[in-house]
Amino acid sequence: MSNSHDVVIIGGGHNGLVAAFYLARAGYKPLVLERRNQVGGAAITEEFHPGFRASLLAHSAGPLRPEVVRDMQLEKHGLKMITPAVDVTALSPDGRALVLYRDIEKAAADIAKISKSDAAKYREFHAALEKTSRIISKVLTLTPPEISRPSKSDLFGLLQLGRSVRGSGKKNTYDLLRWGPMAIADLVAEFFENDLLRAVIAARGIFGTFLGPWSAGTALVLLLRAAADANPAGGNCFAAGGMGAITQAMAKSAQQAGAEILTGAEVAEIKIKDGAVRGVALVSGEEIQARAVISNADPKRTFLKLMDPVLLSPTFTKRLQNFRMNGTVAKINLALSGLPSFSGLDGNNDAVSGRIHIGPGIDYLERAFDESKYGNFSRAPYLEIAIPSLTDPSLAPRGQHVMSVYMQYAPYKLKNATWQDQRIALGDTVIKTIAQYAPDLPGKILHTQVITPLDLEEIYGLTGGQIFHGELALDQIFTMRPMLDWARYRTPIENLYLCGSGTHPGTGLTGASGANAAREILKDLKARR
Amino acid sequence: MTTYDIIVIGGGHNGLTHAAYLARAGKKVLVLERRHVLGGAAVTEEVFPGFKFSVCSYVVSLLRPEIIRDLDLPRHGLEILPLDGTFTPMPNGDYLWRVNDHGQTHREIARHSRLDAEAYDEFGKAMQPMCHFVKPIMNMVPPDPTGFNPKDLSKLLFLARRFQKLSSEDRYNLVQLMTMSSADFLDQWFETDVLKATMSASGIIGTFLGVRSPGTAYVLLHHYMGEIDGAFRAWGFARGGTGGISNAIGEAAVEAGVEIRKETGVAKIIVKNGRAVGVALANGDEIYGRVISSSVDPRHTFIEFIDNANLPADFLDEVKRYKFRGSSGKVNLALDALPDFKCMPGPGAHLRGAISISPAVDYMERAYDDAKYGMFSRRPYIDMVIPSLTDPSVAPPGKHVMSCFVQYAPYKLRPGLHWDQLKDDFGNTVIDTISEYAPNLKNIILHKQVVTPLDLEREWGLSEGNIFQGELSLEQLFFLRPVSGFARFRTPIKNLYMCGSATHPGGGIMGAPGRLSALEVLKDAN
Repeated sequence: MSNSHDVVIIGGGHNGLVAAFYLARAGYKPLVLERRNQVGGAAITEEFHPGFRASLLAHSAGPLRPEVVRDMQLEKHGLKMITPAVDVTALSPDGRALVLYRDIEKAAADIAKISKSDAAKYREFHAALEKTSRIISKVLTLTPPEISRPSKSDLFGLLQLGRSVRGSGKKNTYDLLRWGPMAIADLVAEFFENDLLRAVIAARGIFGTFLGPWSAGTALVLLLRAAADANPAGGNCFAAGGMGAITQAMAKSAQQAGAEILTGAEVAEIKIKDGAVRGVALVSGEEIQARAVISNADPKRTFLKLMDPVLLSPTFTKRLQNFRMNGTVAKINLALSGLPSFSGLDGNNDAVSGRIHIGPGIDYLERAFDESKYGNFSRAPYLEIAIPSLTDPSLAPRGQHVMSVYMQYAPYKLKNATWQDQRIALGDTVIKTIAQYAPDLPGKILHTQVITPLDLEEIYGLTGGQIFHGELALDQIFTMRPMLDWARYRTPIENLYLCGSGTHPGTGLTGASGANAAREILKDLKARR
Repeated sequence: MTTYDIIVIGGGHNGLTHAAYLARAGKKVLVLERRHVLGGAAVTEEVFPGFKFSVCSYVVSLLRPEIIRDLDLPRHGLEILPLDGTFTPMPNGDYLWRVNDHGQTHREIARHSRLDAEAYDEFGKAMQPMCHFVKPIMNMVPPDPTGFNPKDLSKLLFLARRFQKLSSEDRYNLVQLMTMSSADFLDQWFETDVLKATMSASGIIGTFLGVRSPGTAYVLLHHYMGEIDGAFRAWGFARGGTGGISNAIGEAAVEAGVEIRKETGVAKIIVKNGRAVGVALANGDEIYGRVISSSVDPRHTFIEFIDNANLPADFLDEVKRYKFRGSSGKVNLALDALPDFKCMPGPGAHLRGAISISPAVDYMERAYDDAKYGMFSRRPYIDMVIPSLTDPSVAPPGKHVMSCFVQYAPYKLRPGLHWDQLKDDFGNTVIDTISEYAPNLKNIILHKQVVTPLDLEREWGLSEGNIFQGELSLEQLFFLRPVSGFARFRTPIKNLYMCGSATHPGGGIMGAPGRLSALEVLKDAN
């Protein structure tokens, strides 16, 4: 390996790989440096118990931006997405579960059993989301404009946006303006009367955030996610072989396009001279020169850990420190000897083949959040469960299963406790909670893996355990992600760029940040040719 | 039978301002007030002989200077007495006492944290350009962002340009103010918990939000807007109580030729083929006018006063979903002596300002948590003033009135609870809470008046007891207030206007809605 490259990308997470692909396709020779022994970042599949493989962190995709899937030809590189018939099943203590099929009509039919009006409203809400998502998905692919000196393309983009907003009609425009800053609890209450239905939809507005359903701005989080999938309760994107299959396919695609990927290569420092990036130094001591360095690591890690902050202006550093990265999600992976039976679903395997939602009411979700505000993890947590082995037997031995659980709220900062000594308690709380809906679960557990927010930071490099590289909140999106004046993937250091989820749009496993970043970086690289 | 040019429903400070401006433009104006006294929520009432309470609203800061000027309010008896500083007692026996004297406040904050003392000055400086940015919006008829007419577009462009012209630092601060929670925002500036807590309080007043709820930061601005043009409109009392303001506006209105009828409740707004033509009174009388302006909230105006058949369905839906959700109550006390605070015994200047029970950010947030699930705060946030210290006219010699604004007191209680049964419990909770800091309180109470959100609704006509005629949350501001597409004081019914706090720029004793709407009525009339 020559130790001089035109572009070095720090971190082989999905956004890094997407960026690498686009740069390689444009004729550059990007080198991706991955600290761990496999690429994938938070989208990885690992054997966590002999014979049991799990999507260790993320267990369902964003879904990916269609253009990314298309450009990278991910299917051709072995990616097979699995879309179960059911998106989400919301469990309720009284055993009357709500099964939300992918098919809106089937979903509505199930809702109608609880409430006729909610069934109608579900269709209505879906239609409304489809309208807004057309507009918002435009925003997702937009580079946040330069406010003081908007470029021609900025103005054009905004003009396009403005026209599609206004074009969508008075009602939709006002919906968009009014909904954005709302609390998701209020928005769902405007449509639905059933608390379980409200909760399962509201969950989409709070997942991964340090906000509760009553927090203003959570409606926007839902709208951002709806841009990728207009199904009210959110879609469902498993990959055959687990989430790792997505990043493996991305890696192949990037390599075939001409990118080089080096695993087990941890960057110790970004080399900077006279305000411009010169390359990187690895922990191994090796130095690699580069004309440009792109960091797929989160903003705080990039600027506070991988370089000397004194190279940055006080204003920039202050804003960076103000960028909120409070993790709230823990991950529990269970190896099961068999499929647990969920009360109220009497062996309807379809119903548990998608995502399973535990959080039976708005107040339940809000109370779960309340505890985290004071530095405790929720004793009655909000859970999102997946049993991918149902639709993908390759993940577990025959007849046995893998259960993958997001647990919220698990605040990174605990009050008078440490995650080292709370790990067991966290696992037990989650299992106890699920057992209320699937009493036979505990007897089926062969192995439990608990990943705390601290693990997310220490093992997977997510500062603060924040799975989105920075909270999704009104003040940390679009032109403010990661901060005002620096939301265009460029940084105060010449030729140093960001391409991770800490940049716009940064909403989970979509690849949009990487694709947007690559577009901007290519502009600069071409200009310098 | 005389026909009026404009009939104004409601004699609150906005209704009276509205009427005064129209009369001064030569219109024949009638104001109808349901109660025996003018002022709406800006009212002084002698609840107990010799004790005059500012029953609801109790301090003033945002009254628009142009209104004071145009209506020459000082000549009509308006006198604002300064309210000096905010005193925050702490459970540990310490306190935080901020006053208008810069040096003293600096030293006081430095006592808690040197860094915060410096940051506090910076903070004040940083807020100034924010206020300058927001102020013209206060005097602006909201544009229709979906509209295509040049006026709307130019207004939107005007705002965009102003934003663009801000320095990067100001832009950063403004965006944060508009979107963040006051707790998060203040966290970026200060380290002293009690300072953050007591400052964040101004971000939640009158809302059903907690200090950690996004969208509460911008309300911090209001505090600075009061101060920005110097001491005159800094926070203060009106002599004779808050009613003094309404009375002054009322006199200005009468002088301009406005006819005011008290104890004249409106039952219906008479609509004939899509036009408002008059009002029917509770007693059955009908009064006719070319224009009807309602200063009461949208729920009364459109759901109660108007036959819904006259309104477009989607408009009605939006009115129904407009959020009130009152979250505060008042406890007004007649005192035999002054409260004696453990952390600063005896009388003194600290009693002349606002006294704030807001010892910690978590304390504030927990108070909100109680309310979210339908119960008043077990340990509430309380903002107290003792106007009788600055204005002896409101209490007998040697005696005092103490006004306690209490949050949270949610209008909607959880099933099984009712405000009329909880009233005493609520009052006692407030008194107990204060007693923790001023133990002598219980022994000096002569009379107490407890005002629950339900009382605010029943007696003062504030739906769900919301003191701002509707929550001041982001989705109910500017061109979204009160109903998207109808933020310009006009309504789907011709000749029917809104002129109350439910319209832009919203609640507080500002008068801006009353004035702005009057100018729009005149625009249409000519």
